[in-house]
Amino acid sequence: MNSAISVRHLTKDFRIGIRGLKLRAVDDLSLEIPRGQVYGLLGPNGCGKSTTLKVVLGLVSATAGEISILGEPSATSAARRRTGFLPEAPYFHKFLTGRELVRYCAQLSGVAASDLDAAVEDALGLAAMKEAAGRPIGTYSKGMLQRIGFAQAVVHDPELIILDEPTAGVDPVGSASIGRMIHAMRDKGKTVVLCSHLLGQVEQVCDRVAIMDRGKLVLEGAVEDVLSRRDRHVMTIEAMTPAARSAAEAALEAHGAKITSVTHPRRSLEDLFRELVTGSRDA
Amino acid sequence: MKDSLRRTLWISRVTFLEAVRQRFFAFLLVLSAAMVLSSVSLRVFDFGHGELKFIADFGFGGMFFFGSVLAVVMTAQLFFSEIDNKTALTLLAKPLSRPEFLLGKFFGAWAVLGVFVLVLASLQGVVLWAREQELIAAAEQAGRIPTTFSIVGLCQLVLLQWLRLGVVIAIVLAISALARTFLFTVVVGSLAVVAGQLQWIAQDAFLRPTDSPAYAAFLWISTRLIPNLQQFNLADALVLGSSAVEEGALIAVCLSGLAYLAAYLTLGSLIFRQREI
Ligand SMILES: Nc1ncnc2c1ncn2[C@@H]1O[C@H](COP(=O)(O)OP(=O)(O)O)[C@@H](O)[C@H]1O
Ligand SMILES: [Mg+2]
Repeated sequence: MNSAISVRHLTKDFRIGIRGLKLRAVDDLSLEIPRGQVYGLLGPNGCGKSTTLKVVLGLVSATAGEISILGEPSATSAARRRTGFLPEAPYFHKFLTGRELVRYCAQLSGVAASDLDAAVEDALGLAAMKEAAGRPIGTYSKGMLQRIGFAQAVVHDPELIILDEPTAGVDPVGSASIGRMIHAMRDKGKTVVLCSHLLGQVEQVCDRVAIMDRGKLVLEGAVEDVLSRRDRHVMTIEAMTPAARSAAEAALEAHGAKITSVTHPRRSLEDLFRELVTGSRDA
Repeated sequence: MKDSLRRTLWISRVTFLEAVRQRFFAFLLVLSAAMVLSSVSLRVFDFGHGELKFIADFGFGGMFFFGSVLAVVMTAQLFFSEIDNKTALTLLAKPLSRPEFLLGKFFGAWAVLGVFVLVLASLQGVVLWAREQELIAAAEQAGRIPTTFSIVGLCQLVLLQWLRLGVVIAIVLAISALARTFLFTVVVGSLAVVAGQLQWIAQDAFLRPTDSPAYAAFLWISTRLIPNLQQFNLADALVLGSSAVEEGALIAVCLSGLAYLAAYLTLGSLIFRQREI
C-alpha cells in the first residue's frame, strides 16, 4: 500500500526583493508519511513546516523534488478532493456564519447536494461548534476559529487531513479537545498530518514524528521509539519507608541492577490546569 | 464541466455577498443615487432638448464615474481580502482551480455592478420620465414640439455600461493576479481606465500614416492592448436620440467588449496560475 504523502528530495527557494535573493525554506527533504496514523511535523518557527505543507497541497510550486498525495501527483484536483486542510492561524470570511462557511467549503469540495445538510451538521458536531454555528465568524474566539477550521477541513470526509498549527494560541482545554478530534479521525482510519512547535502536545497526539531544522530533516520515527530509553525503567511506589527502600536497593543490587535516582512523580502544569478548569465558555 | 461551473458560481455567490455586506458599496450607491435625484432640482427651463440632456448628463456622469470607482476599488478589494486574509489558502486547497477562483471573483463583482447600474438607471428613468411629462404639458401650452427620451435606449445603455464595467473588472483582476498589493492594483487599474477612455485618440492617430515605425508600433500595441472604453458612451445618442445609432454599430461594440472581457480573464487566469499563495 502506498503512503499517504510521499515527498522525495523537495527543495523550495523563495525569491526575496527585487534583487532576487534566494531564501532556501526547504532543503532536500524526503518523507514517507504512512496511512492511518497521526504524523507530526515539528520544528522551530521558520524551519519550513508550513512551506512543506503548502507545496504538498500545490499552493506553492516546488523548486525541485517530487510529491505525491494518496498515490496521485500533488497539485491535481483529484488529490485535493480527498484531502482536507486547516491553514496556519486560520482566518475565514468573517461576514459568513460558521455554518455558511462549512457549507460553502463542502460545496467547493464536491459534496453532493443531497448529502450537504447532513455533512455540514456532522462536521459541526464533530468540532463541537453546533451552538455557535449561527454566529458570524468575525465574533469567534481563537479556539472557535480553529474548531470551525477543523470542521471545514473534514466536512467532505477526506482520507487525509492536514493541519497547520491546529493548537497555536489555543488554551490547554481547547487543545485537548482538538487532540480528541484528531484521535477520532484516526480511529475512523484517516491519516492526520499536523505541524507544530508545541512539543508537549504533539507528544500526546502523534504516533510518528519528523523534526525539521532550517529546512532539513534531522530526525524521523515512531514517538515510542524516538522518546523511550529502553535501558532505563521508572517505578512508581506507594507508602515507601526508608527500610523498604534499602531492602529494595539490596535486592536489585543482588541482580546487578542499580537505582540511579529517586524522585517524587510530578504532574505537569498542563494536567493540573485541565483538572481544575473544566471548560472555557466557548467550549 | 458542470462541476467547474458550479464551483465558479459558489465563489461568485460568496463574493457578491461579501461585496453587498460592505459599507463601501452602500455608500457609493447612495451617493450616486443622490446625484441622480438632485438633478431634478437643477432646472434650466429652456423647455427643450437641453433640459433632458442636462439631467441625463448629470445622472449618467455619476453612474459612469462612481461605477468606475466601484469597479476598480471593489474588485481589487475583493481579490486582496482573500489573499491578505489567507482565505484563498483555504479555498485553493480544495478541488478548485485557479481559473475557477478568478472567474468566480469576476462574476461576483460583475453581479454587484449589475445591481448598481440597474438601480441607478431605474432612478434615472423615473426622473427623466417625470420631467418629460412636465415638458410635454408645457410644450402643448406654448404650441411647441415636446422633447422625449427613449426607454429602449435607456435599457440598451444599461447593458452597454454594464459591459463596460465588466471589461474594467476583468482588467483589474488581471492586474491583481500579477500585483503584490491592493494599492498598486488600484493605482494601475485607475490608470488603465483613464487610458481606456483616451484610447480612441491613439486610435485616431493610428489612422493617419506616420513615418516612424517605432511610433506606429507603439500605437498599434496601445490601441490593441487597451480597450476603447469610450465606445460604450452612447448615452446621448441612445437615450435622447441626438444622433442615430445603427444596429450593427451597437452589436459591434458589444462584441468587442465581450472579446476584451474574455481576453483579460484568460490573461488573468494564466498569470494567477503561477502565483504563490
Ligand atoms: N512567501 C514567502 N516569501 C518569502 N519567504 C517565505 C515565504 N513563505 C515563507 N518564507 C520563509 O521561509 C521560511 C520557512 O517558513 P515557514 O514554512 O512558514 O516556517 P514554519 O511554518 O516552520 O514556521 C521562513 O524563513 C520564512 O520567512
Ligand atoms: Mg508555519
